[in-house]
Amino acid sequence: MSSLGLLDVAAGVLAVAGAVLLAVLVGLRVRRQVRQVRAERAAEPHRARLLALLCAEDDERAGILDTLAELDDHSWTALEPVAQVFLGKVTGQASSSLVELFERRGLAERAMSDLGREGRIRRARAAETLGQLRHQAAVGALLPLLRDADPDLRVVAARALGRMGDASAVPALLGALHGRFAVPPSVVVLALTALGPDSQPLVAEGLDASQPLVRAVAVEVLGAVGATAWAPRIALALTTDPHPEVQIRAARALGSLGAPQALEPLLDALGPDRPESLRAVAAGSLGRLGDPGVAGRLGELLGDPVPRVAATAARSMARLGQGGEWELRRVLGGIHGDRAARQAGAALAQAAISKGRARPAGDPTVET
Amino acid sequence: MAAVLVADDDIDIRNLVSYKLTHAGHDVIAAENGLAALKSVREHHVDLVLLDVRMPGMSGLDVCRELRADAATRALPVILLTARSQEADVETGFAAGADDYIVKPFSPRELISRVEAVLARLAR
Repeated sequence: MSSLGLLDVAAGVLAVAGAVLLAVLVGLRVRRQVRQVRAERAAEPHRARLLALLCAEDDERAGILDTLAELDDHSWTALEPVAQVFLGKVTGQASSSLVELFERRGLAERAMSDLGREGRIRRARAAETLGQLRHQAAVGALLPLLRDADPDLRVVAARALGRMGDASAVPALLGALHGRFAVPPSVVVLALTALGPDSQPLVAEGLDASQPLVRAVAVEVLGAVGATAWAPRIALALTTDPHPEVQIRAARALGSLGAPQALEPLLDALGPDRPESLRAVAAGSLGRLGDPGVAGRLGELLGDPVPRVAATAARSMARLGQGGEWELRRVLGGIHGDRAARQAGAALAQAAISKGRARPAGDPTVET
Repeated sequence: MAAVLVADDDIDIRNLVSYKLTHAGHDVIAAENGLAALKSVREHHVDLVLLDVRMPGMSGLDVCRELRADAATRALPVILLTARSQEADVETGFAAGADDYIVKPFSPRELISRVEAVLARLAR
């Protein structure tokens, strides 16, 4: 056979293989769609009952729950994914009703069993389900997953532990921040924040950890959950911790907590020898504390060579109410130079816009 | 009984809120995006609007501003639905003229209480 003939044969084989592949792909897609339509049809008669359960008054709830718990397997298989979607969308009695329904249908038991099986997706789904169900018995089984080789599984496990609200998971979550198989800090922060007030003493133990990231996360979580009892300890971290990231998160946390003992450490953090990011965060936190007595010190920062520090200080002054505005007007008058005056003018203009008041004609105070 | 417009791009939320409001005796008009919500407000009698903050295209905040800018809808009560992670939207929502907000995930019971509280304020 000539080389031209061989080429023709090869092209023909390729064309047939392509057509077969296309047919298989189309077939799979059609089959999936048909299955989906069938599942939706099977679920349809029970959707209204599911909504009724979510919206039920106390006297109706038990009856609807019984009906759904006793659905035949075919109908339940179709309805279960619909019901699972609502787990993340409702709270209160609606959520409790769903959890009770799933427990009665054996979802938690199946998920517990799936945690130990092969397949990362199956295990991740199981962990997610157990977290949504707040299935306390699963805490012990989820903890080892924080060290799993699969990064997605580690994240799902951390989220699930957070939802469960069991404070005993705190040391493992903090420990998951470092090592070869670590969990991203943002995920750990969210999980620890969700755990509830019982976890605060254990989170605070992280302030003494040798790893700066653990200390930083502990500080951030305590600030986010409003743990005012730990404000003095966080103020100490701002003053004495050797790591700038811990100091920055401590400054931010103190602003969120609004504790009076935060004032002095935050003022110290404004010093020109401190890191720029820390100075900017400290200036912002002083605005959130709301003490007009700091307006003078913030006013001095409006001429700072670091624009971020100056702009944050100006915004903070505007948040301090009349005392802050009065100081901004003084700075606008030029007591700290032209650069500071421009920052003050911008902050006053922004404050006027936020208050929704029109600038009086000829008012020089908001010219920039 | 009041006519309530529910605008949310999430069909599950739309169905749930519609069910709860209907069973509480209210008429419900559902819209799946901001533009459809504005159209419904102009075409139907509406007593209260429930708006998801984050919708594709025109957001709930944009719809709220449009309602406040129009003399015909300026006084229409608006409740925003916002995700917990978007609570910063709440301040913006009030600035845009919203009367109240509900954080997702929410309790259907709490939702109906909020709706009825706003309607009661309106009736006074």
